[in-house]
Amino acid sequence: MKYVIIGNSYAGLSCADAIRRFDKSGEVVIISDENYRAYARPLISYYLEGKTTDETIWYKEDDYYEKNNFDLMLGKKVVSVDTNAKRVVLEDGAAVNYDKLFVGPGGTPFIPPTEGFNPDSPMMGTFTRFDDAKKMEKAAKMSKRKEAIVVGGGLIGLKASEGLRALGLHTTIVELLPRVLGLALDEVSGNITSKKLNENGIDTATGETVVKINLDESGNPVSVLLKSGKELPADIVVVGVGVRPNVGFLEGSGVKIDRGIIVDKTMMTSVKDVYAGGDATVIYDVINKRPNIIAIVPLACEEGRVAGTNMAGVYREYPGGMGLNSVEIYGLPIVTIGLTNPSNETQNVYVFQDDKIYRKLVYDGEVLVGAILLGDISGSGILSAIIRQGLKCLKYKDEFLNGNIYSFVIDNEFEIYNINEGYAIRGDFEDLPEFSRTNWR
Amino acid sequence: MSKKLTNLEEDLKKNQIEIMLYPSKCDGCESEGFAACVKACESHMAQKYGSKYAGARINIKKKENKFFPLICHNCDEAPCADACMPGARYKDLESGWTVTNYKKCVGCWMCVMSCPFGAIERIGKGHFASKCDGCSDEDTPKCVEACKKGALKRIGIKNYSYERRLSVAKKIYGPYIKSISK
Ligand SMILES: Cc1cc2nc3c(=O)[nH]c(=O)nc-3n(C[C@H](O)[C@H](O)[C@H](O)COP(=O)(O)OP(=O)(O)OC[C@H]3O[C@@H](n4cnc5c(N)ncnc54)[C@H](O)[C@@H]3O)c2cc1C
Ligand code: SF4
Ligand code: SF4
Ligand code: SF4
Repeated sequence: MKYVIIGNSYAGLSCADAIRRFDKSGEVVIISDENYRAYARPLISYYLEGKTTDETIWYKEDDYYEKNNFDLMLGKKVVSVDTNAKRVVLEDGAAVNYDKLFVGPGGTPFIPPTEGFNPDSPMMGTFTRFDDAKKMEKAAKMSKRKEAIVVGGGLIGLKASEGLRALGLHTTIVELLPRVLGLALDEVSGNITSKKLNENGIDTATGETVVKINLDESGNPVSVLLKSGKELPADIVVVGVGVRPNVGFLEGSGVKIDRGIIVDKTMMTSVKDVYAGGDATVIYDVINKRPNIIAIVPLACEEGRVAGTNMAGVYREYPGGMGLNSVEIYGLPIVTIGLTNPSNETQNVYVFQDDKIYRKLVYDGEVLVGAILLGDISGSGILSAIIRQGLKCLKYKDEFLNGNIYSFVIDNEFEIYNINEGYAIRGDFEDLPEFSRTNWR
Repeated sequence: MSKKLTNLEEDLKKNQIEIMLYPSKCDGCESEGFAACVKACESHMAQKYGSKYAGARINIKKKENKFFPLICHNCDEAPCADACMPGARYKDLESGWTVTNYKKCVGCWMCVMSCPFGAIERIGKGHFASKCDGCSDEDTPKCVEACKKGALKRIGIKNYSYERRLSVAKKIYGPYIKSISK
C-alpha cells in the first residue's frame, strides 16, 4: 500500500500518524512545497517576538520522519492530481503514484484588491509562512521610519502586528469590521482587546479599509490611504485578512469543491481513495449546524486522524467540529468558543464583568452554545466540551459566570466515579477502548 | 476489595498501571491544612522539571461537601495534544502517556481551552501550562504515595477491569438504584 500525503503540516502529519498506527509497513510519502520540515505555523509571530526560536519552532522531534519511516519530499509543489491514473504531478514534471491520497494543503492568503499592493516587494507581504516571518524580520531592519500597516484585524492580522511591534515598529491595524477579532469577540471584549493593543504600541483603525498604497520609485510603500481619507505613513504593509482553501491544483481532478474540499463522514472526497482534511476542507459545523470551513489547529489534527484511520482500512466517522480559539494579547488571555454573538432571539446572553475579567455565555434554551472568556480562562476546556456536546446546563449559569466552571465536572464526574467506585486514568495503550475520546465528543 | 488477578509488579513492567480515583474518600486533607497529594506533586515536579516549571499537576476542587481530585485523565488522542500548536504536548508511545516538552511551550493556552476535565492550569508567572505526566517513570505516582485517605490508588489494568465489571453489576443490582431515585 502506498500512501501519499500532500501537506506537511498539522492535518497531513496527523493523518500520517494515524496511518502508522494501523499500518506499520505501508509506504508513506509526504509532499510539501515549503523547504522546511514541519514547523508551528501559528507561531511565526512568536518567532518574531523571540518566544520561539530556530530550535523550538519545529513541530515534531528531529528524528520523527526516519523513526516513522515517512518519505519526505520538500520544496516540491503539486500542480495537478490525476485521479484516474492515481498519481500526483509535481511542478518539475515528475509524478508520484498513490494507492491512497490525502490532501491537506491548508490555505493561501486572501488578498483583497488594493491598489499598489505587490507581494514581491521586500517591504510588503502576507503572513502565513515561515518565509513570510523571515521576510518581515529583514524588512523591519530596512525600515527607516519604523511604521507598519497591517490590513486585517482577525487572528492572522493581530499576530502579524504583534510580531512587527516586537521588531520595534509602530503598527496600525486596519480592520473593516467595527472591532478587532470581529467574528469571535463582541463589542465589550473587542474594546478591551483594542485598549490592550493601543497601550502596547499597536493602533487600531476599525471600520476602515486601505484603498491605496502610495509607493516610492523602487516600488516600496511610503504611505497608505484609508477609506475615510486619512493617510498613514507606512514602511511595511502586511495583508493578513485570512486564508482561502488552497485547492487550485485539484482542478480537473474530479474532486468536488465548493469553497473548500467537500468530504463525507469518513473524510473521503467525492473521488474514491482521495481523502482531505485541515484548512482546505469543508466539515460539519456542530454549532451552526451546517457545512463550514473552520481553520484551526485542533480540527486539522482531528480531521487528518480520521482520514488516516480510514485510509489504513479502519472505519471511522468524523462527527464534525466547532470553532474555538485562544490567544494572549500582551498578558490578556482570551478564549472564544462556539457561537459568541447570538444569531437569533431564542438565544440568551449572560455576562459577568469586573475590571479584570469578562465572561460571556450564550445559551440556546438550556443548551450552552458559545462563550467568551477574557482575563481568566481556567477551566475553559470544560466549557468547550460542554458546548461541543450540546449539554443542557442552564442551572450552572451563575456558577460559570462566577468562574466556578469546575463545579460542573465535580457534579457530573463525582456520580460517574462513584458508580464505578473509582475510575482509572493512567492507562495502557492497547487495552483501553480504541477511541476513548468519542465518549465525550 | 477485589481479588488480585495479576501481579502488580508484572503490570508495572508492562506499564499496565492505572491511577484510580475514589473521590468519595477524599476530604481535601482539610484538617492538615494542605492537600498531601498536591504538596507531593509540587515538590516532585520542581525536582524533575526545575523551578521554572514547578507547580502541582493535581488540584483538589471543592463543592459543598464534595471534594474532587482533579487530575489528567490521559486521554487517548488527547485534545490537549491536538490543540498544542508547537507540539509541546505529545503522546509518548513507550509510556502511553501524553507528556510535555516544556521548552516548546509558549503559553498560548490552546490546551487549557481544550482539556475537557479542566486538568491543565497555568504554572508560575511564566508562560507555561502544566500537565500531569503520570509519573510514568516512577513505580508509584507521587500523589498516590502521598494520599493516606485512599482516594487515589494505584492499580493494575486487569484488576481495574475486574473492579469495573464488579461495580457495573453493583450499579444494576446493588444499592446504587436507591441513590438514583433520591
Ligand atoms: C499567523 C497565524 C496564526 C494562527 N493562529 C492560530 C491559533 O492561534 N490557533 C489555531 O488554532 N490556529 C491558528 N492558525 C491557523 C493554523 O495555522 C491552521 O489552522 C493550520 O496550520 C492548518 O493546518 P493544515 O495542515 O490544514 O494546513 P497548513 O498548515 O496550511 O499546511 C499546508 C501544507 O500544505 C503544503 N502545500 C500546500 N499546497 C501545496 C502544493 N500545491 N504542493 C505541495 N504542498 C503544498 C504546504 O507547504 C504546507 O506544508 C494561525 C495561522 C496563522 C497563519
Ligand atoms: S490534560 Fe486533559 S486533555 Fe490532556 S490528556 Fe489530560 S485529561 Fe486529556
Ligand atoms: S500553552 Fe503550551 S502546552 Fe498548552 S497548547 Fe500552548 S504551547 Fe502547547
Ligand atoms: S501522577 Fe505524578 S505528575 Fe501526575 S499528579 Fe500525581 S504526582 Fe503529579
